[in-house]
Amino acid sequence: MFYRLAGVHHTRYETARALWPVPADRWQVAIVALLALAAPFFLSSLYLGSYLLPWLIWSAAALSLTLLMGLAGQLHFGFAAVMAIGAYSSIHLARFGVPFELALIGAGLTAAVIGSLFGAAALRVKGLYLVMATLAMQYLVDWVIINVPAISGGAQATLRTPSVSFLFIPLDTLSARYYLALGWVALVAIFFLNVKRTSFGRALVAIRDKDFAAAVIGVDPFRYKLMAFFTSSFMGGVTGAVLAFCYYRAVTPEQFSFNVSIQLVAMVLVGGLGSVIGGFLGAGFVLLVPIILTNLVAGMAAAGWFTVSSNLLAHVPLMIYGALIIGFLLFEPLGLAKIYDNIRKYFLVWPFRHSRS
Amino acid sequence: MMEGRIRPAHEPVLVCENVSRWFQGVHALKNVSVTIGKGEIFGLVGPNGSGKTTLVNAITGFYPPQQGKILFEGKQINGLKPYRIAEGGIARTFQNVALFRGMSVLDNILMGRHIFMRPNPLASLFYWWWAQKEEIAHRRKVEEVIDLLQLESVRDEHVDVIPLGLQKRVELARALSAEPRMLVLDEPMAGMNQEEKEYMVRFILDAQDALGLTVLIIEHHMDVVTAICERVLVLNNGSAIAEGPARQAISDPQVVEAYIGKTRDAA
Repeated sequence: MFYRLAGVHHTRYETARALWPVPADRWQVAIVALLALAAPFFLSSLYLGSYLLPWLIWSAAALSLTLLMGLAGQLHFGFAAVMAIGAYSSIHLARFGVPFELALIGAGLTAAVIGSLFGAAALRVKGLYLVMATLAMQYLVDWVIINVPAISGGAQATLRTPSVSFLFIPLDTLSARYYLALGWVALVAIFFLNVKRTSFGRALVAIRDKDFAAAVIGVDPFRYKLMAFFTSSFMGGVTGAVLAFCYYRAVTPEQFSFNVSIQLVAMVLVGGLGSVIGGFLGAGFVLLVPIILTNLVAGMAAAGWFTVSSNLLAHVPLMIYGALIIGFLLFEPLGLAKIYDNIRKYFLVWPFRHSRS
Repeated sequence: MMEGRIRPAHEPVLVCENVSRWFQGVHALKNVSVTIGKGEIFGLVGPNGSGKTTLVNAITGFYPPQQGKILFEGKQINGLKPYRIAEGGIARTFQNVALFRGMSVLDNILMGRHIFMRPNPLASLFYWWWAQKEEIAHRRKVEEVIDLLQLESVRDEHVDVIPLGLQKRVELARALSAEPRMLVLDEPMAGMNQEEKEYMVRFILDAQDALGLTVLIIEHHMDVVTAICERVLVLNNGSAIAEGPARQAISDPQVVEAYIGKTRDAA
């Protein structure tokens, strides 16, 4: 079949550590990249702006979170707050006249500093206690944003993003905003893949798997946990800014509430912890499946298969969606990424049945 | 043959002076003193619960002793964090294999190079211009260890799927790739069959020879202990009951008593 390891020989350590050593994987990545680049030319603005664009941005958010939760193994239930810090600081920086490129970096740094401050406080505890500590961050940040008019623009206020340009391209058109989001998520994905094959990623995984064994070969657990919080919060902050400028274009504190944090955790879990493709699949699942289910149920009702009240129609997709998440956690705890991996391995060893892991 | 291995003037590498450790009411180590010489293979034996692992944990910084001093190459190391002690040149393996289960064999061994690497998110981001060179350089070092321990065939496997004997060997490889001057092995042959045991002994001797290591080894297989250890320390209930050349120490009446009881108990 098309997946073949035969003929893939490594004569240099560089190629043995290539991102996609198997030609079939390279083809898939190239095709997906081309489709993503060409999307504004063949997708209607409805699909581009309301489905693909948020999917990409939330994928970047899920990847930021899975660096912390999947690689470093530190649970974080307040990641929407990190994104809120990024969104609000980028807007204020841009309004202040800071070039948008720098505002994005400023957003990342603000989120990273505040995120790792909470991280440092939270790192004395593990597991469920860490969840509580990060929840506290969510509520504290929410409270500060809502109650400090200088940040939120007043109670119940909506803060519009100023019009900006990125590298001399004004972000007024949908396709410009789409390409910025695409560029960011591609950068995040490549960064994540590189982290996984370098010493930084290995140190994080070592702490997650066996912290005492990590310490005994020279990893300072506190330092690397903090680095994980910093890096992840930086990415989350920039993603929050990209979300504000490319998608929402007007932010309110509710857009970054506790529900959103839970959605992010769901994306990471359903997608598969610590996996890049899992980040994309998880974000797609959590964002798009409820919409698809609603359309499906409404469509079947319209076709006269059964009758549903509008009240029931509002809830049925949510129920199916909840059942799906429970199903995933029960039957494939490693998430959509594992399902993808199983299919890939099936083709890799085809026509035989078993691969070793 | 063993007599030939004993070098008379050992320069001391690791010195424990009156080390004591309590866990609440349990007095796990009672004034244990021991000196291990450079290049020596030193055995630590004793019945279950006698404090062998506690002594090793005290040396590697997990359970710092409440009393006493531990010197490594003349510098005091008790009170240092475990990762500091690792940076100082002591590597160890664990009784229950403590590999990183989410990683491949190669990545696990590469982890041993951590103290020589400069992990940094920016280096990862600019992989091709920054981190790659370092990764490759350390990969070469790791491949030497893989060669030495004959792990070539499994280097790309996940550590989960290889047999226990190999897992223990991977753990040894990880410790060796940190280029330690002292290696602490906590029951490296527990749960192994005879063949795996012989391999392991061979590898420990090879590594000690090739890298000029000092080895502290906890082991229950007395055949192994008498075969490779120059001297042993016998612990019982947290106190040292015998010390000296391996055969002599384990035939000490007190040691026999600690292991299998007194003759009059047998009745």
